Amino acid sequence: MRIVVASLIGLVVALRVFAAAAQEGHPLTGTWSGDWGPGAAQRTHITMVMTWDGKTVSGTINPGPEAIPVDSIGLDVTNWTVRFEADAKSASGPIRITADGRLDDIASAHRTITGTWRQGTAKGDFKLTRD
Amino acid sequence: MRCGLLVLIVSSGVALAAQRSAVYDSERQIRLEGAVTRIEWINPSALLFIDVRDAGGVVANWAVEVGNPIDLERNKWTRRSLRIGDVVTVEGVPARGLARQALARSIMHKATGKRLFDLPAPRPAAAGRTAPAPRWPDGQVRLGPAPGQKGYWAATGVRALVESTAANVRMNDEGLLANLADADRVAPMLPWAKAIYLHRQRTLLKDDPLTRCMPPGGPRQFQMPNGVQFIEQREVGRILVLMGGGNRNWRVIYTDGRQQGQAAEVVLTYYGSSVGRWEKDTLVVDSIGYNERFWFSNGGLPHTEALHLTERISRPDLNTLRYDVTVDDPRTYTRPWTGGLTLRWVPGEDIEEYFCEEGITP
Repeated sequence: MRIVVASLIGLVVALRVFAAAAQEGHPLTGTWSGDWGPGAAQRTHITMVMTWDGKTVSGTINPGPEAIPVDSIGLDVTNWTVRFEADAKSASGPIRITADGRLDDIASAHRTITGTWRQGTAKGDFKLTRD
Repeated sequence: MRCGLLVLIVSSGVALAAQRSAVYDSERQIRLEGAVTRIEWINPSALLFIDVRDAGGVVANWAVEVGNPIDLERNKWTRRSLRIGDVVTVEGVPARGLARQALARSIMHKATGKRLFDLPAPRPAAAGRTAPAPRWPDGQVRLGPAPGQKGYWAATGVRALVESTAANVRMNDEGLLANLADADRVAPMLPWAKAIYLHRQRTLLKDDPLTRCMPPGGPRQFQMPNGVQFIEQREVGRILVLMGGGNRNWRVIYTDGRQQGQAAEVVLTYYGSSVGRWEKDTLVVDSIGYNERFWFSNGGLPHTEALHLTERISRPDLNTLRYDVTVDDPRTYTRPWTGGLTLRWVPGEDIEEYFCEEGITP
C-alpha cells in the first residue's frame, strides 16, 4: 500500500513538473513574486512585473494603487546578475530601493532571483520566483 | 506495484524524450550482450531490456533504445522479431552518466548470428530534378501531391537554420554547434539572446520545449525529422501544414486575401498568425503573434513575442522544396536575418503519426 501511495504521489509530481510551460524569451520578462526582509520572521511580500522592449527592461513593484515604478533594471548576462533601483513613496518622502541579485535556473518556468534588498536604511535578503 | 511500474515508465518516457545529444554520449561506444527480459513497443522509441553480466559476474538490466516502431516496421523489424530470453549482442552509444541505458546502432541474435537491426536508414527521399513540380489546373504550383498520389516533405542533409551568409557553421541535426565560438555566425543575436543560446548549447539542449511536446512553431516545423505535409484547401483559402510527429496539431496559413492583423490584436500562439500570398511560384507567408513558449528553430535560438517571420516557400521541381525565412525580432536580434532549408519529396507515403502526449510520452 505504501508503494502504491508513493507511486501515485510520484506520478502526480511528475505530471505537474512536466506540464509547466516555460517562458523562453527574455529571461526577466514576466510576473515575479516573493518577499524581502531582514530575517525569516519579518518578510514583506513583493510582486514585480518586468517587460523587455528590445533596449530596456522596465518594471513595476506591486502593481496597483501602491505601485512603485522601477527606475532601472540591469541584467549582466555574463554572470546573470540583476540590479533594480526604485523609489518607494512614504509620508516623509521617497525611500530608495536597491536590490542586487542573481538569476538562477534560467531554463525553468519558475526561475528565481535571489540577493540583497536595501530599502532606505533597512537591509535584507530577497527572493523572487517567476510565476 | 503496478503503479510503481507506471511511474517508472513515465520517467523513462520523459528521459527518452530529451534531445539525443543530451541523453547519449556519441563520443563513446558500448557493446552489450545478454538475454532479453522485456520489450516495450512504444512511441517515440521502442525499448529492449536485457540482462547484462559484467566482468565480475554481476547482472544488471539495461534499457536499449532501438528507434521508432514505425521506422522499425518499415525495416522489417516487428515486436515479434525477438522473444523474451533470446540472447542478443548490442552495439551502440551509451547514455551519459551512470544510467544503464544505450542507443542501439546494431543488434545481433547470438544463436543464429543474424543481424536483426541496423540503425534505420533515412527516408527514401527522391533524388534529382526528375520532373517539374505538379500544378493546379490554373497553373499554380502544388505544394502537396498530385491528384491520386501520396507524398510528403522530409528534411534531408543539414536541418539546422543559420544565417545564409554564414558559411561552414558545423552543427548536428539537433542544431548543436561543433564549436561554440561559431555562435555569432549563426544569427546576429543581442547579448541576452546569445547568452541564452550558449546556455542551451552548453546544456546540450536538454530544456528544449519540444521534448515536452510543445509545438514547433516557425521554421522548426520544417526541421522536424519526420517531415511535413501541405494540405492546400483552396476552396476555403487556406493551407494546412501538418508535421509527422509532435502532438498532431497543425499550422494554418490563410490565403484568402485577408490582411495580417495588428500584433497587439493577435492572440499569441505557437504557430502565430500566418497570411500567405503567391508571388509567381513562391508562397510568401507573413507571420506574427507567436508566444514565447517554444524554440522556433532547433539548436535553441531564442525569440520574443515581437517575432515576425517572412517565409518564402517554393517548389522548383517535383522533388525539391525550398524554404527561406527572414527572422525579424528586434528584441532578440540586432537586425533581420535570413536562413533557409531544402526539403526533399518522399513519394508514395503519407507522413506518419507519431503521437506525443505532453508530460508522458512524446
